[in-house]
Amino acid sequence: MTASEKNPIVKIIGGKIWGLFGSLKFTLFILFSLAIVSVIGTLLQQNQSLQFYIAEYGSKWTSLILHIGLEDMYHAWWFSMLLVFLVSNIIVCTIDRFPPKWKATLEAKVDVDAKFIKNLTNNHTIALQDEPQAAKEKIFNILHKKRYKIKEANNTEGVSLYASKGMIGRFGSDVVHVSLLLILVGVIVGSIFGFKDSGAFYEGEVTTIPVADFQFGIDKSWHGIPLPKVERQKKASAIQLKLDKFWIDYYETGQIKQYNSVLTVSDDGREVIKGKQIWVNAPLHYKGLTFYQSSYGLAYDRVKEAQFFLQDSKTKKAVGSPFQVDWNMPYDIPGTDYRIKVVSFVSDFAYDPTTKTIYPKSAEHNNPAINVEIYKKDGKPVGSPWLFYNMPELFTQIPGSNYELVFSGYKGIVYTGLSINRDPGTVIVWSGATLMILGCLMAFFIFHKRVWVHVRKGRNETEVHLGGMINKNKFTFEQELLEIVESIRGVKK
Amino acid sequence: MKVIMSLLFFDMAFWFYLATMLFYFAYWITKKELLGQASTVLAIISTFAIFMMLLFRTKESGHAPFSNLYESMTFFVWVISIAYLIMEFKYKLRVIGAFVMAIAFIAMFATSKLPYRFQDIQPLNPALQSIWFELHVFSAFIGYAGFGIAFGMAIVYLIKARFEERKASNFLIDRLPFSNILDELSYKSIAWGFIFFTLGALVLGAVWANKAWGTYWSWDPKETWSLITWFIYAAYLHARVTRGWRGKKAAYVAVFGFLSTIFLYWGVSFVLPGLHAYASQ
Repeated sequence: MTASEKNPIVKIIGGKIWGLFGSLKFTLFILFSLAIVSVIGTLLQQNQSLQFYIAEYGSKWTSLILHIGLEDMYHAWWFSMLLVFLVSNIIVCTIDRFPPKWKATLEAKVDVDAKFIKNLTNNHTIALQDEPQAAKEKIFNILHKKRYKIKEANNTEGVSLYASKGMIGRFGSDVVHVSLLLILVGVIVGSIFGFKDSGAFYEGEVTTIPVADFQFGIDKSWHGIPLPKVERQKKASAIQLKLDKFWIDYYETGQIKQYNSVLTVSDDGREVIKGKQIWVNAPLHYKGLTFYQSSYGLAYDRVKEAQFFLQDSKTKKAVGSPFQVDWNMPYDIPGTDYRIKVVSFVSDFAYDPTTKTIYPKSAEHNNPAINVEIYKKDGKPVGSPWLFYNMPELFTQIPGSNYELVFSGYKGIVYTGLSINRDPGTVIVWSGATLMILGCLMAFFIFHKRVWVHVRKGRNETEVHLGGMINKNKFTFEQELLEIVESIRGVKK
Repeated sequence: MKVIMSLLFFDMAFWFYLATMLFYFAYWITKKELLGQASTVLAIISTFAIFMMLLFRTKESGHAPFSNLYESMTFFVWVISIAYLIMEFKYKLRVIGAFVMAIAFIAMFATSKLPYRFQDIQPLNPALQSIWFELHVFSAFIGYAGFGIAFGMAIVYLIKARFEERKASNFLIDRLPFSNILDELSYKSIAWGFIFFTLGALVLGAVWANKAWGTYWSWDPKETWSLITWFIYAAYLHARVTRGWRGKKAAYVAVFGFLSTIFLYWGVSFVLPGLHAYASQ
């Protein structure tokens, strides 16, 4: 390859590695490797817990899986390596092939002789009675009508024409290759500067939206070798989001039709978007941030109201009727001189003895527990027990009375789960994707058709040599050339 | 009793496809022009029956007729039939109809064997209510159909090329088009398939995912398998211009590509878990 010999990299390190990276066989090797490796990632569940892998594959296999990085293989170094190979392959191939192709396409030989045409796979010889000049003009017109771009050259033998069309089809594959690089750039931009978060939002509540804060630093965790690293921290932004309303639409059959949230956005204390409804597939955009309707659920740390009743501590019989208590609102229990207030709730009770804190083990309502403060009506505190929905016998006696307080029900608060996302890379990814489709269309359906014609004066007639070349789709081109030849002959009549 | 028109037309189409396939095979064996023309007529009737099925399904369900496996399989059959009819009209090669219609009939058969709940009209869950979802599936299935035809052509190519190499003769094989034509047809189908697949399965799928979940790519099994399939067809396109790989090896890649497509379509939905699990609802 003459083009690569001039290449400075080849001059320095020799052509072997360059040749390998520029070969189509290497392309096939990478494409098949990527395909095979990706299959593994779909068979072995990704990003599961350590327990999952041990339960599924045993500890021996698990340590192997973790060692190779199979549990998160699309981010493993060797997977990235394959992508780097793919990118190098594309770049080397483009450097090798594009300039000569560009040159050959733009600077095609116009001044050819009859011998050149006779060497083409598709060639025809036609004898015409017209004068050479008239014959040339007629052929010119025929080719022009078929939308060929024509150049001509005079030589001692006669006149030669070079007609071509569909030149851009040649560069379709290059467009696809560049588009692939562009998509990867978009992915990288997104992974560095993008930001994703999600959270539970309650009706009426205002939440300050965090954004990512970037810091570039040095990472030495990889065998002590300093590598550039982007550190990201969440930082409060000036943007605040308020959930005005959340509701679910149902079909007549009872299946869920749609989740809807109405959002109000303020920026720097000023309302910028008021009461905008979002649903799945219809997110809200503001200043590069996008808010998605992603889930919903019952709050794990609060309730709308709780229901209690009193019972006699000896007879275990209910005293009076059950009563509802609003969240965080003091409530006088009728017929007694006690007042209670619901202050805390966990959906799945758990206790951490080291920090002595109570926390919800999960967002599921497996073991709902409620924390009430009990006062005398004069305001003197009596106690603040936790009551368990599933275990009404526990901790229920009101100190210094014959009453037991029983937690008998609650109305949860539905929250809407929103994802918040900023990805400046998507624009690049979409441009790449569009370019890729255009490139494919160019490569598959625009054919570079080239026709050379040589017209010279024979002994007693005008001799026309016509031949052509196409980069693919040979069958239809043969047909087209025959049509051209027919119409040239037809001109004679 | 209320007759569900879409199911009625599906049953009709089923028998028409069986007849169409048998007629194309009969034409291949006998080379009788009458049988050939009858095959084409039957293929047109079958395609029309499936079209009516899809039309009624749309009317009955109120959404585009490719939101579950039953609907999308039927849609696949329709696209592959139309693509074949265009091909037959353009290239006048009726013999290959036997192979394409065999694929169409196998698809019809597989669809009819789906559990009954798939035939029920299911209302769309929130994630599926998007024009991007509809475009995604629509375009991806045109891609699948292209790959399906290419698979058929590649198989015939491999058989034909084997006979040509040995210069062996067999009256059935001799009636098949020359191997270079089969190779060209396979390539053309993949070219069409590749564009619609890239656009539908990958690009529009990513656009939809980004609209619905805020991520255009999340390596879920369905996404990954569509990328695997894409890698295989990208390899095919490169193999065709690589010395030592064009011809037979490329044809094998086309076969593998379609096997991967089938797994992407059926295997992932039934075997592997992921976002696209809705398909097996």
